[in-house]
This record gives sequence, C-alpha cells and structure tokens, in this order.
Amino acid sequence: MGKPLVNEGSGRVGVPLEPDWPIVFLPSGSASSHRASPFVAIVRSPAELSRWLSEPSPGLQWLQVEGLLQDPDAWAPATHSTSTVPLDVVMANPASEFSDLYRLVDTFAVRDVRVSMPASPGFLKALKVAVALRLPVRLLPGQPSSEVPIELIEAINFYLRDPMVETPVEFFHSVLASMCGAGDGSLWMILEEDPALFLHREVDGGFNVRGVSSSPSPSILDPTVLAGLASEAAPKNLFSATFVDTWFKRLLGQDAECATCPWQQICQGYFKWPDPAYDCEGVKQLFSAIELVANEMGSELAGRDHIGPENELGKLGSIATS
Amino acid sequence: MNGRVFSVILLPTSECNVACDYCFEHKEPHRLSSALLPLLTRRLLDHLEHENIEVCEIYWQGGEAMIMGPEWFVDAGNLMGRAAAERGRKFVHFLQTNLISYSPSWNRVIHGMFNGSVGTSMDYPNVHRKLFKGGPEAYTKVWTKRLYEARAAGIKIGVIAVLHQASLEAGAERFYRYFAEDLGLDDFQVNTPFAGGPAKNVDGGFQLDSGELARFLGELFDIWIQKGYSTGVSLGPFDALIDHFVGRPARLPCIWKENCSNQFISVDARGTVAQCDCWVTSYPEYFFGNMFREPDLTRMLKTSRARQDFVDRPKHLMEHEDCLACRYLSICHGGCPVRTYSAKGTLLAKDPYCEVYKVVFARAEAHGQQILRQRSAAAGKAHAAELNDRKVSFSVTG
Repeated sequence: MGKPLVNEGSGRVGVPLEPDWPIVFLPSGSASSHRASPFVAIVRSPAELSRWLSEPSPGLQWLQVEGLLQDPDAWAPATHSTSTVPLDVVMANPASEFSDLYRLVDTFAVRDVRVSMPASPGFLKALKVAVALRLPVRLLPGQPSSEVPIELIEAINFYLRDPMVETPVEFFHSVLASMCGAGDGSLWMILEEDPALFLHREVDGGFNVRGVSSSPSPSILDPTVLAGLASEAAPKNLFSATFVDTWFKRLLGQDAECATCPWQQICQGYFKWPDPAYDCEGVKQLFSAIELVANEMGSELAGRDHIGPENELGKLGSIATS
Repeated sequence: MNGRVFSVILLPTSECNVACDYCFEHKEPHRLSSALLPLLTRRLLDHLEHENIEVCEIYWQGGEAMIMGPEWFVDAGNLMGRAAAERGRKFVHFLQTNLISYSPSWNRVIHGMFNGSVGTSMDYPNVHRKLFKGGPEAYTKVWTKRLYEARAAGIKIGVIAVLHQASLEAGAERFYRYFAEDLGLDDFQVNTPFAGGPAKNVDGGFQLDSGELARFLGELFDIWIQKGYSTGVSLGPFDALIDHFVGRPARLPCIWKENCSNQFISVDARGTVAQCDCWVTSYPEYFFGNMFREPDLTRMLKTSRARQDFVDRPKHLMEHEDCLACRYLSICHGGCPVRTYSAKGTLLAKDPYCEVYKVVFARAEAHGQQILRQRSAAAGKAHAAELNDRKVSFSVTG
C-alpha cells in the first residue's frame, strides 16, 4: 500500500518486524492472548474497537475493522483515543456503503486509516468517495465477476489519469510502479494476501487465503521448518510460507493459461485462486490498461531527464497534469 | 492528545456600531458578561478534554466585537489562558472587527492576545456598509482611516470582501486594484454572498446571477495570478486552491470542508450554540442548545437533533445529489450548508453556488498546472546550465 500501515519507523506499538515472520491476523478474542509475533486484531464491534484502542498490546500492527462502517457511534473512540494504532476499515458492500465513508473523516484526522474493499459491482462509488476524502484504498479484486473488469478499467483510468486523485489506490499503485521498474512484488504481496507475510490463522492451526481454507501449516515460526520447506520440491499440500510459489508452480504444471500470460510475474496465479479454471480475459485487459499508462509515463519521463523517475513515481497521476 | 483543532466563533455581543444593508443579525443589546465567561470557558475546556483536543481557536466576532472594549478582551484573554493552561490546553485568539471603533488603545491587546493581526471587512464599491449617521462614503472614509492607523501601529490586516451586484458591474480589474493597489493590502479574500435571515427569503439585491458571478471570479483569479501571486499578495480562497493544485498543504475555507459539523461551533453572548455565526444569528430552528443552561457541551453536540442534519449532510449529498460524479468532490464536498439553507430552505442539498465553484476550481486547476509547468521548465533550464557548467569545467580542467 502506498501509505503502509506497517511502518517500522512510525513509533507505533509493536515488536520489530522480522523478514521471516508473517503478520498474523486474529479475531479480537484470540488476539488478546497473542504475544509471539506481530499481529493484526480483527474487530467487529464498537466495544472491541474501543478496547484495542485503549489497550493496544505489544505486537499489534493495526486493527482490521469489519462491519462497523454503518454504525455512526462506533468511531468516536477512534477519534478521541490517544493511541496511534492504524485502522484498516473493511467494507463488505462498497456499492451500498460508499456514503458511510464520511464517518471516517474525524478519525482519519488523528490516525492512519485505510479502506479495503472488494471489487464487487458498484465499488467505484466507494473508491471515488474514499479518494475524495484522501483515504488510502486497498482494492481487493479476488476473482472478479464478468462485469467487474470493465468497472476496474474505469477505476484505473480514474486513478491514473485524473489529477484530482492524490491518494494511493492499491493494487493500481504498486502494479504501475512495478511496470515502471520501481517494484517487483506480486499481487499476493501488494494486496497483503501472501500468507508467507500476512497469515490469516484459523482456529485449528491452519490458515486461509482469501477466506478459503488451506491445509494446516506446520509451525511457521520455526526457522528450521521454514528452511526445510524452502528446499523441498513443491509439496502437495499448500504451506503458508511457500504458498504462492507452490500454487503458481502447480498452475504452470497444469498448463493453466498462466504459462503464456505476459503478466505472470506480477500476478503469480493470483487470479486463479481459488478456482484455477477462472477465465482471466478481463483481468488481462486490466493489466494492459495499466501497462499503457506505464508506457506513457516512461515516454514522458524519458523526456524529463532532469527529474529522476523516483520523484515522478511519488505522485502517480501527474501524467494527466502535464 | 490528538492533532485536531476545534474552533469556536464566539460572539461576545450582538450589538453593532454600524448599519449595513445586508446584515442578517439581530442587533440585540446582549453582551457576554465577565461573570459568565468562566463558565463558558469551563464548558469549552470540558469538551476539549473529552474530545482529547489540545488547541481551541476562538474567533471573536459580533455584532461588533470591539464594542466590548480592549480591557474586556485583556481580562477575557487572561482568564481563558489561565484556565486552559491549568488543564493542559490552549486557546488561540483571532479578532474579526469592522475597525470603525479602532483606536490606539487596542494596540496592546491586538499585539498580545491576537498576535498582531485582525480581520476586517470592506466591499468594493461600498454601497451597503453604512454608519448610523452617514452613508457608505462616510463609512468608507472612517474605515480607511482606521485601516491606515492600525497598519501604522504594526497591525497586520486581512480583509474580507463580500461580492454584490455593484462589484460585478465595477469589474474584476477595478475590484482587484482597489484592494491590492489603492489600499495596498497583501491579504484579502472574496466571499460569495447569501441572504441570511429566514430561509428562502432571498432578497433580490443580494442574489447574484451565477453566470456573472462565475465570470467575475474567473477574471479576478486571472488578474491575481498575473499581478499578485508572484508578488506575495494573498487572495483567498484562490491562494488556498493554488496551494492545493500545486501540491502544497492547503487550508481551504470552511465552505469546502469534508464536514464542518465536527470542526467548529458558534456561541453567542447568551450562550446559544449553533453551527456557525450565520446559524446562531439567523436560524433558531437550527440551534443546538445553550451553553449556560446545559452542563455538557459534548453531550449537547452529540444529542442535538438539529446538529444531526449537519453530520448527515455529506452522506446525504453523496446519495442524492450529483456530487459523486464531480471531479472536484475532494475540494468541495457539496459546499456550504448555510448558503444552501438560505436559498433552498433545506441543508440536505448541494450548495446553490455549485456551478460557480466549478468555474473557480477549473481556473485554479489550470493556473496550478501552468505554475507546475513553469517550475518544471525552470528546473530543466537550471539542470541544463549545470550540465553545461560541468562540461566547461571538464574541458578546462581536462
């Protein structure tokens, strides 16, 4: 995300982030006893939100807030609290909840707030309101239904070409940066869905990816186990630490369309999860639309050798102002 | 403590020493007594504490604030400052006055409590601001004299000009010249007029044609960019819009805030609380409550049914107006509730100046892009010169 919630230098409460330690996502109840590693608490009630804001325990990276956007009274603690814990506000239905984003104005004035929303039909209304309020956005495409890629392309053009847009919208921001040579993360990582880094643990010790359960993982915090997994041939089961690599290799081995896809490096099978038969035609057009802008930016930057590409990439969208 | 700032437009009196045509305030002889000021201060500090806000900006207005006299303000500033410090808070004071009763006896409090600056108002041409005895000419003469006296005393002056039909007829060029050149001001702003008084009771004299108004503002914007922008003349709200469009932090006026409801309130001399000075002086149906009768300001704001309309307004506009399709949503959010209410009788609608704002925004955007292009070209030239210098240097030393 352009304005990361995880920021080692931000002075937030929390334990240092180690490269091999995933951030563990836990329901509020079980997060209370979590001590071992950086974690995100998922809160679903005003009481939970209030409690975590007043008593943020070590290791807490941010709060994932679900189902509270429509509650006008839920946000007062987040506005008044002295703690600086960031919030990731998850929208369930952006097409109907879009105007509720105005409830976050006061909270956003005092702490980092990001909005995460599924790319479900009608999401563009919520994206526009979030952008107007300068709220960073994480747009979660999942496996978009057939009508959504058109809306996604409209959203990309809005994000990349409208100079009024200032705030980062993921995954557009990082994919464009990557296509301009300023990043190499996959969509899994950009969207914080790579379980090697962002682990949604389940009660039975397993984990889920985008809400779909996978096989129970061994103790992923044990370095010896991690080393063993990395050296092995792709296991049949999907382990959190090697999930993306394993899944992508499996797709390639099954002759999925990924094998010939020009976007395979940045996608790495993202759009084939959980249904490997998903038709990627729409999302390929999406990548093409981003590439078009990347090429335009490349041409423009080539004509401006006095300004480094890093400076220009700092404000994507400037292309439309010139 | 969080970084929010809470603002209060505080009217210590409803009385006024002039008789302007378009004033919508009831000039009743109420003054905020020194006996009630500690209570008002305590209520404000309680609210700041509850909201975890450290700084409260107090905008003293009227009526005419200077009617209270300089010593009253010295005492008020001291009392409020002491009370705030005891609770780890801070009041920052601003003064808006018509300047008519300014005298050197004000200098000490202005340089102290008000940090050496005051805001005042004047229109061009002045046809509506009048003294009780004497017409607009007499008013202009006295006001101008006071302006020069205050400036001579080292006081920084900001002027608000409300546009009216004669302003449009005079033209943007003459308008700008009056403030920036005749008066030599380097800080003034233009406000769009609204009728005030009973909703929908729009007086024809103050209702401007949107097309004419937009044309005037567009021309004024161009003139300011041409003559004032690079010479340090600040002309609001154009300066804030330029800041926005060139990527600098911008403090846009309250009419274009995401939601004004949690950023400020207004309190009059009797303790009446409403959204802003326009509401507290004009629309009893939208009073939030009374500061002196209700013990908890936070609770009053939270439970006021009248205030709920302000809280809900942006959400309502997103759902029922065409704001979502507007590319300037991020710097407008549907505009000003009171301008809407005075024209339409409801605040759950977008600002009637919507089309005027769009013209101003577009002009700001175009000028902002031009400034960025010039900056980029200048940087390119500097870079080329630097490269050239290096080549020369290399050939000399090599």
